Amino acid sequence: MDSLLAAVIIGVSLGGQYALLALGFTLIFGILGVVNFAHGGLYVLGGYVAQAAVSKLAIPYPVAVLAAALATGAVGYAFERFVLERRIDDHLATLMLTLGLYLMLSTGILVTFGAESVQFAFPVTGAIRGNGYYIPLENLIVLATCLLAIGAVYLLLFRTDFGRASRALADHRAVATAQGMRPHQLFPLAFALASGLAGLTGALVTPILSLAPHVGDPVLATSFLVVILGGLGSIGGATVAAFLVGLIEAFSGVYLGGSKGALALFIIVLVMLVVRPSGLLGRETRGA
Amino acid sequence: MFKLSARRRARTEAAAVITLAATFAVPFVTSSPLVFSILNQILIAIPAAFSVFIMLRMNLLTFAVPAFMAIGGYSVAIAAANGITDAIALAVLSFAIPAAVAAPLGAMVLRLKGVYFVLVTFVLTEITQLTLFEMPWLTGGSNGLVAIPPTTLLGTSLSSNRAVLLLATALSLVAALIAVSLTRRFREHFDAIGENALLAQSLGLIVWRYKALGFVVAAGLSGIAGYSLVNMLLTAHPSSFSPISSVNYIAYAIVGGSGSIIGPIVGSAVLVWAANLFNNHGEYSPGLFGLLITLFVLVGKDGIIGILSRLASAPLASDASSPGRHSKAAAVS
Repeated sequence: MDSLLAAVIIGVSLGGQYALLALGFTLIFGILGVVNFAHGGLYVLGGYVAQAAVSKLAIPYPVAVLAAALATGAVGYAFERFVLERRIDDHLATLMLTLGLYLMLSTGILVTFGAESVQFAFPVTGAIRGNGYYIPLENLIVLATCLLAIGAVYLLLFRTDFGRASRALADHRAVATAQGMRPHQLFPLAFALASGLAGLTGALVTPILSLAPHVGDPVLATSFLVVILGGLGSIGGATVAAFLVGLIEAFSGVYLGGSKGALALFIIVLVMLVVRPSGLLGRETRGA
Repeated sequence: MFKLSARRRARTEAAAVITLAATFAVPFVTSSPLVFSILNQILIAIPAAFSVFIMLRMNLLTFAVPAFMAIGGYSVAIAAANGITDAIALAVLSFAIPAAVAAPLGAMVLRLKGVYFVLVTFVLTEITQLTLFEMPWLTGGSNGLVAIPPTTLLGTSLSSNRAVLLLATALSLVAALIAVSLTRRFREHFDAIGENALLAQSLGLIVWRYKALGFVVAAGLSGIAGYSLVNMLLTAHPSSFSPISSVNYIAYAIVGGSGSIIGPIVGSAVLVWAANLFNNHGEYSPGLFGLLITLFVLVGKDGIIGILSRLASAPLASDASSPGRHSKAAAVS
């Protein structure tokens, strides 16, 4: 019973992190039609920005997290505005451009910070203990922040003009443009928002897990899992799928061990891609 | 993508084969370990880059190269450990087993296109990598398969550095001949699918058949690259086939130029050589690859070969827009 509770707690905590990560990824695909291979790199960059702000500038951790989100958002904005925009209608070209950004980001981080993982501890320690359960405070804080951020993204997308315009562009770019939406202004902002979410997740999660130049690779793979399962471009689907993936990972970690859980997840996703490319909650997808 | 005239295409195909055939001479004119090492890496990269090249001809970007390299490489390692060390038998195995695995997979995944095809091939590579770890009784798990017996040819061991390089050259040449044969025989079919698969289908081309053929042959070529890699290392280890390594093979094909068979050869040679310039800091080479991918996608869409072709002659664009391309494709289906 104790291990069941532990698996649920770990799963929900992981789910919150994955949801935040996947939201950015699925937003970019939904609005711009771009598969962002740089998402893992932006996550790592967020972690390093926060770590450098805390350790070198002695900035309080919450401010450092905000700075990480802003810095990665700025990188995302500039990349979309000056690079991606030039080939925005060619999906293979955009994919390769994000791949190029990822390679340059990860190498830049490697050159600047070195190959070894750096010390970056979460500022709050301790745990809530009870009869048969143990919840680390850091996981609770990260989960609460992730849920807040997810709520803020939902508000932004469904209660603001920016969100309505972005969703209109995602639904039908040509019609939305004819109605006065401006993709050249909105796309960089959407990319900045998604990049900022990746950076925010990196700043929040890397103190709990680890921070090294290549920790973005598994993050990218997890983002793929979640967004494919939820349906590429589907915000609700990504959120549900993130918690599902978190729970499956936690349960397989507790009861199976090794990488059997990850293998099972990838096989489920492969089947999902083949039989239902629109995912769990997705609708008609872009050219599957 | 730029298209070459029939005459120039034949020339580039001949140049590709001759260049690889000429590489047989290298081990006899130098014994430099550095040259041997770099050349081996280039010759391993070339069949893998051909694999990307074939799929790009149909406007499909594949991340599955490391998956099929692993299947080919591990098949060879297991066969060698069980006494099959003949180079020809192993070469056939390294092509046939990944191709046989790709055939049913292709039936499933080739229904997808665009980014969905990219994602499914990425997922396939992740599954292969995890399977290598989860089947230690067959693959050695995280330890891999070590101390693989060296390849033999007519009973002679090919264990010396020179023999390893000669075998890598032969495998690369075979891969080039297969790629040239396939893309020559089905050029119009692939062009039609690459330009507009729906239109090609509406004109009578049985698109899935050619996509499946390309996918199967591309898998086989990746398997040959896997054999070459395992033969050089005498070890089959999951880290040699990491999903992220697919980026390298894509870079070789894109930077070299995906419009001509010689592009992947030039891309492999230039990028492997450039990566070796970093000496003890090979981990910095992905940054260079990233920069080059970005530059070539933005300003040199046809890669090194496309740029050189434009510099060397009159504009080639007229070759790209020959009328009746789809009609011709339909007619030959």
